[in-house]
Amino acid sequence: MNLIIKIAWRNILRHRGKSIIIGVILFLGAFVMTIGNGVISGMDRGLQKNIVEGFTGDLIIAATTQESDNVFLEFMGKAIDPIYNYPSIDSMLKTILIVKSWLPIGKNTAMVLNEDGGMPDFVFVLGVDFAKYKAFFGENLKVIEGTFPMSNGPAVLVPTGWRKQFFNFSNIWFTCPTCSLDTALLPPDSKTTLDDIAIKHSVVYMGMNSDNSTTDVRTEVAGVVKYQALNTIFGNFPILDIESYRSCLGYLRADDASVVLSEAEKHLLALDDPTALFGAEPPKASSDAPVAKTLAIASPVKPVDINTGVYNLVLVKLIPGQNLDASVKKITESGKKIGVRAVSWKKATGLVGSIAVVIKAALFLFVMFLFFVAIIIIVNTLSMAALERTSEIGMMRAVGAKKSFIGRMFFAETGMLSFVFGGIGIVSGFIAIQIVSLLHWTTDNDMLQLLYGGDTFRPFLSLGDIGITILQLALVTLIAVLYPLSVARRITPLDAISRD
Amino acid sequence: MNIIDIKGLTKDYPLGTTTVHALRGIDLTIARGNFMSIIGPSGSGKTTLLNVIGCIDTATTGSVKVSDQEITSMKDRQITDLRLHKIGFIFQTFNLIPVLNTIENVEFPLLLMKQYSKTEVTRRATKLIEEVGLKEHMHHRPAELSGGQRQRVAIARALVTNPDIVLADEPTANLDSVTGAQILDLMVEMNKRETTTFIFSTHDANVLKYAKDVVKIRDGLLVAN
Repeated sequence: MNLIIKIAWRNILRHRGKSIIIGVILFLGAFVMTIGNGVISGMDRGLQKNIVEGFTGDLIIAATTQESDNVFLEFMGKAIDPIYNYPSIDSMLKTILIVKSWLPIGKNTAMVLNEDGGMPDFVFVLGVDFAKYKAFFGENLKVIEGTFPMSNGPAVLVPTGWRKQFFNFSNIWFTCPTCSLDTALLPPDSKTTLDDIAIKHSVVYMGMNSDNSTTDVRTEVAGVVKYQALNTIFGNFPILDIESYRSCLGYLRADDASVVLSEAEKHLLALDDPTALFGAEPPKASSDAPVAKTLAIASPVKPVDINTGVYNLVLVKLIPGQNLDASVKKITESGKKIGVRAVSWKKATGLVGSIAVVIKAALFLFVMFLFFVAIIIIVNTLSMAALERTSEIGMMRAVGAKKSFIGRMFFAETGMLSFVFGGIGIVSGFIAIQIVSLLHWTTDNDMLQLLYGGDTFRPFLSLGDIGITILQLALVTLIAVLYPLSVARRITPLDAISRD
Repeated sequence: MNIIDIKGLTKDYPLGTTTVHALRGIDLTIARGNFMSIIGPSGSGKTTLLNVIGCIDTATTGSVKVSDQEITSMKDRQITDLRLHKIGFIFQTFNLIPVLNTIENVEFPLLLMKQYSKTEVTRRATKLIEEVGLKEHMHHRPAELSGGQRQRVAIARALVTNPDIVLADEPTANLDSVTGAQILDLMVEMNKRETTTFIFSTHDANVLKYAKDVVKIRDGLLVAN
């Protein structure tokens, strides 16, 4: 082996020109591969971090009857099936050890009515318990105006993206009651004069569900918020308090279930002829109870357990290090008996969740094309080198070198070039990625945000990525050397003598 | 005892639509320890005969036995092994490995054999280099040696494995007469010392005085022995 390495290394030095050509190609290939893998990995990581930690959790529980996995970003806005038994889900999740935390939410499409008579807008709305939302997602939202509500009174958090979109659509600018118009926040390309802008402090939503049982609700704007990352994608989801959301969608509210009828109310409902309530004569009750007096006493109300109402989804965060697909299977299996199933965040966010795979495939094709060109150049150069060395190789064969020796020698030469120049390419790519990561390039552009995996470009290389790059480089080297190697192996001593 | 036994050897080369009959039926036996010269004009077939004996080229028909082994039916791997263990080559154009120095070139076939320790390989190579008078040039690469010195390296390399036969195709053709004579003297000396069979081709009449046996070839046939 030492002999082969010695001959190979000296041949590399002897044929410096060719070695440098092949080396530069290998360097560029390894460099581009490393950068490409770093960008893809950074994007994948960024998307996962920003979507999972800021919007969806690791996986989402939906009703078994929910057909589409894409529960967040289906463009046709098909209604998400309701979950009526959240307490059962809550109990189930408490028994699953891989689950770290969970958050029930409502999510559906609603119309935003234009009180000035204009066309309504359609928007995805979320319904949450604000305090639990904050506990689940932490600081994923930045409050631009107003405050983040921590109680469950009627309130809506208007995201900047949707506010801008609705403003462009209707000249209505939503802001909280205590806030004044900040013209700096108006879209820079807005042609509207300040006098034409209608400032509103509340939003009227009308839910859209498959039961046609929706109603319109007015909610005051508690604050205007911006997502810390991927705001252009998720900043189009107004966040309502869960009870307003339920009213809007015509769902059962928690306080509907908590009303306890007084004896008198029960009595009234038990009247033989309820229409008598509206007649001139006092109603005939089945007892002598003083109805008017009783009605004056407020009905006792149980403390509201917000969880008893209807939700659409339950967002679940897993304990770090869990396999996502296996966790989805496990929770789906557990949820069968209570009529729910789990969906991974990637499937739940549709195209956005799959974008990493799409861009990865595109970059992979680009890198493969680059490799293809590199392989052709290397094959050509090495084949020429093999033929130019016919005398030397033929003479080696004449004195007893087997074909395998020639093959190993040739492979060692290319392998060394690949190791040295490819290694430099990988190290250079790694350094470039570290430098770019430190530059904190940010963007507001939707497509670039997807490519960046967030607002900031943070390419990232894991040991696995470096391993993949090394494997890709090894594969290129192997493919590139196969034909020249067969050319070299076919050289006979007679070829060497004939050439002389 | 014969080291080479050839019967009815023919070798044809296709050349376009015609066929060149390089050897037309050679019968030849060569005794072990001989110092034989094959002579003949250019194109007579002497190089082809040497190539077939040295397993560098294949016979079209006939039988060729080297050290009692029929080489015409051997596979590439067996032929390569035979060349490594039984045959040494000295080429006209001093084919050495350009990236290896003198001692490394001589060590090369021994390292391919994988039978000796590194110390033994170096000892044997050094001994032969000293015998061919290149002790001072042990670490010079071929490009730093004269034609005669390179041919001496080739002789040392051909002998280092203790082969049964050394084949030399016009070993002095590219050397001046003084150097050529020195090379032939060296080959004769090695032939006596190691009892290695030497077969060399030449068309130089001055070389013939060194040969114990001479065979003459013309138009692919032996015409005198």
